[in-house]
Amino acid sequence: MTAGKSKKNQMSKIGKSVLLHLIIYTAALATVAPFIWMILTSVKSMNDIFVYPPKWWPSEFHFENYKRVFEAAPFGRFYLNSIFVAITVTLGQLITCSMAAFAFARLKFWGRDVLFFVFLGTMMIPYQVTMIPSFMMLYWLGWIDSYKALIVPGLASAFGTFLLRQFFLTIPKELEEAAYIDGCSRFRALWSIIIPLAKPALATLAIFTFMGVFNDFIWALIVINSEEMRTVQLGLAIFRDRYITEWDLLMAGSVTATFPILFVFFFAQKYFIKGITLSGLKE
Amino acid sequence: MTSLRNKYFSFLTRTSLGWNFKKGRVSRRNLWSALLFLSPTLIIFATFIIFPVFFSFYLSFHEWNMFSSETSFVGLKNYSRMLSDPDFWQVLKHTFIYTFGTVPLNMVLSLMIAYLLNQKLIGKKFLRTALFAPVIISPVSAAVIWRWLYDPNFGLINYFISLFGIDTINWLNDPTAAMFALIVMGVWKTFGVNMVLFSAGLQAIPDSYYDAAQIDGAGRWAKFWYITIPLLSPTTFFIMVMSMISSFQVFDIVYVLTSGGPLGATKVLVFYLYEHAFKFFEMGYASAVAYFLFAILVVMTLIQVKYMKSSVYDVV
Amino acid sequence: MSKSFISYLIILIFLIAIFSCNTSQKITEDKITITFWHSFVSSTIPALNELITMFEKEYPEIKIRAQYIPTGDALIQKLITAVQSKTAPDISWLHSDFMQDLVEADAIYKMDEFIHGPDSISQADLNDIYPALIRYASWRGVLYSIPMEATNLALIYNKEMFRQAGLDPEHPPQTWEELHDFATKLTFDKDGDGKFEQVGLFLPIFPAAGPLSSWMVWQWLPYLWQADGEIINEEQTRVIFNEEPGVQALTLWQNIFNDLKLNTFTTDYDVAFASKHLAMSMDGPWNLPRFEKMMANLDWAFAPLPAGPKKRATVVGGEYLAIFKQSKYPNEAWKFLRWIIQPEIQAFWSMKSGYLPIRHAVSKIPEFQEYLNSHPNFKVFVEQMEVGQAQRPIDYYGIQITRYVAEAIEKATIGKMDPKMALDEAAIKANKLLSMVPREK
Repeated sequence: MTAGKSKKNQMSKIGKSVLLHLIIYTAALATVAPFIWMILTSVKSMNDIFVYPPKWWPSEFHFENYKRVFEAAPFGRFYLNSIFVAITVTLGQLITCSMAAFAFARLKFWGRDVLFFVFLGTMMIPYQVTMIPSFMMLYWLGWIDSYKALIVPGLASAFGTFLLRQFFLTIPKELEEAAYIDGCSRFRALWSIIIPLAKPALATLAIFTFMGVFNDFIWALIVINSEEMRTVQLGLAIFRDRYITEWDLLMAGSVTATFPILFVFFFAQKYFIKGITLSGLKE
Repeated sequence: MTSLRNKYFSFLTRTSLGWNFKKGRVSRRNLWSALLFLSPTLIIFATFIIFPVFFSFYLSFHEWNMFSSETSFVGLKNYSRMLSDPDFWQVLKHTFIYTFGTVPLNMVLSLMIAYLLNQKLIGKKFLRTALFAPVIISPVSAAVIWRWLYDPNFGLINYFISLFGIDTINWLNDPTAAMFALIVMGVWKTFGVNMVLFSAGLQAIPDSYYDAAQIDGAGRWAKFWYITIPLLSPTTFFIMVMSMISSFQVFDIVYVLTSGGPLGATKVLVFYLYEHAFKFFEMGYASAVAYFLFAILVVMTLIQVKYMKSSVYDVV
Repeated sequence: MSKSFISYLIILIFLIAIFSCNTSQKITEDKITITFWHSFVSSTIPALNELITMFEKEYPEIKIRAQYIPTGDALIQKLITAVQSKTAPDISWLHSDFMQDLVEADAIYKMDEFIHGPDSISQADLNDIYPALIRYASWRGVLYSIPMEATNLALIYNKEMFRQAGLDPEHPPQTWEELHDFATKLTFDKDGDGKFEQVGLFLPIFPAAGPLSSWMVWQWLPYLWQADGEIINEEQTRVIFNEEPGVQALTLWQNIFNDLKLNTFTTDYDVAFASKHLAMSMDGPWNLPRFEKMMANLDWAFAPLPAGPKKRATVVGGEYLAIFKQSKYPNEAWKFLRWIIQPEIQAFWSMKSGYLPIRHAVSKIPEFQEYLNSHPNFKVFVEQMEVGQAQRPIDYYGIQITRYVAEAIEKATIGKMDPKMALDEAAIKANKLLSMVPREK
């Protein structure tokens, strides 16, 4: 390699890298801009919001909007409820879906594919028609207005099972088969071999589940009556009625509602960073 | 090395669908342990999902205004009314247009971005979070911003296209433009989901394959086409099926951005279903529409399964 | 991973232990508790709480538990599930949208039972309530709810812009011609880029299938009535909105819409008005408190709606309360309804909440008159109650027929369809539905 060629390679490498950064940061800006707008609006006074065309930067900062949100309704309690429910459901789904996905991906049993398609099928019915009968179910169990109503139906998920099954399928069987020969039980194989290798998938599922539960409005609306049991999304509804939207408070409330999700996302990202490779494969 | 690679590809192409077990020996013990592993999920499903699903099917043959405790049997009336309603076919057409507009665009975009994010970059964590932000933001807030972006007089989008000499487009009040506007917002709102899924899928591909291919002299494109894509196929299959299902069921963003307008040009199937359920109080009819949607999705999923099965990646 | 996993589990169990004891309801043994479902927005809640405290002082054995339910579709869904699960509230807000369905499901009481019961209301009192409100509160002539407050529609206009356009700021438009004329004069494009910086009048055109669709129709109705039209004929056998008055009203809207190029204008009329891009708009009293704060440096006022070719009219709305048959304490619930319609209470509630009173007698109360004189904009609304009209209620398929009207409005404005044709199309669909109604003779 001549000196000139390596210099040219280096230049084009830097050029490519700069271009790459440019593209991806522009895309990221386009996607995060609305979020920034939300945050900026949350500290505006209504005068700044009631402007057409809309203005980005507030002329005065009203951080007390956040205080007003918490005064309008017991949001502290709502947060506790939302977070508790979301964490419980997320952990529950991680457990039930891993087990079910393991059965679908690894075990050969009679009716496996048919059952799997039935699972998939349940996702194809829009929730708008199943929500009333689901409600009836919970009413017959006497669970209305309780944490059980928010948590238990969400503990299993066709989406999560499907997701994990696909991931488990990418893990070569050879690893478990070696363990089985050594006398390892099926459950142990799941716990010690599959799960560690499926961390990206589990982190992904955790993010989606947490977010879905935290952002849910309709289900909480119909199964919860009393104020102590309300979730954050239900709480935010008080800032809009038929004619008026209290934008400043709604934005402030919405921004705080996204923090737990962002936190989970940030935290779960470490499982996306390449680390574990399938070192067990013989070549 | 090459033969192992090919064997691995064929293994994965087939197992993305899960049909890779030797026929014959289905043991009792397997059924028992399968049940054990499935039990938590099955119990929850049987209690909370099977009943609503079957009850709505039952409802599709009845009329029910939801406030009363009685339903009246009407046989196939709901279905025949649905098939003879020109509104319904319009709505179905719009839904197909929306789905085939968003799903391919979404998948290509999210794969590209997930792939780019896998390269050496500064600030990956921030980038991923920023690119995922649209998914987290509520549809209401998102719609407020997009309505401003699409504003005919002051919106950013019209400003940009005016720089290229194009006349302002009345995005939300023109029937053709509105669907386009909806598709763009739809892709923006959901590509983050697929980006994360593809990212997770990309992590699962071992570096050793790329290194081996490098030694064989494969360039970037060859590596992508012959290693990444095939090894991603279980993930891709998942994303394709789920994207199709959720696009067909799109509701929230339609409700907040265009409300099915203008002149019903963006009314989609679930929107139509929703109004019949909660505006006109015809839950039986809405259930019939839901099951028609179900039938469509079953057919579309089977088509995708067949497609995955028959696409062969350069296997010896 | 297992270490943090275990710590999560521990925290979880701890939390479960705390929260599992928390689902019990607080039952006050000695008092009768009435649940009241409402959708008052957060800024009205303090006034509501004051109202409830006043009631509880007069009736110490009754306690009212007011619960906020998000409005619109959410209220409907909540009521459905509540009625089905036998957890319906004692009292709830109602809209005429679903009153028929509740009646058919036998879920709410006829008010007659209570009016002629022990805690009666005199006929004189009932007659004092604005007839338009009684219409909305009934179905097929039977009263199923009691109005709690009223609203109507008036015209808000920017006096400064009037001056600048050479119009008399104390002379808001009085006729349709003036409305159209003023609106055109108040619309202009300053810098010649083809876009209007200022628009004269906002017309509420929304997607017919969307959440604001019935609000659009609600604001069109005054124009229909001002031309002496109606939606449906007296026998309820066919719709008549496609006759001459309807065509006139829709043509007016179409002309203004096209002249002012309203299809490129924002739908946030309040924002546009506050930022001086809009000269006139229609609105109700609910925004008054906000506007007084936010637009203090703008010279604006409310005026009655202009008169049409045949008469003056405005449309009336409000919130209605019904008592559910599942209530354990219907008589106590009734006491609250009966208490609310008293003139002094109405005056108090109206002044505190910004809603309009439901009956004539309130205007005679001296305190209220003072309030009106110091709040001229509010006065406009109260005075308009005299010409307020409720639509002849559509007994069957009311929602669908309203939807067809909305589609016609959308088609004539955004779709540029001929108004007569648009209305005829809607009428054909509506009459088809009406022909399916069983007629008893």
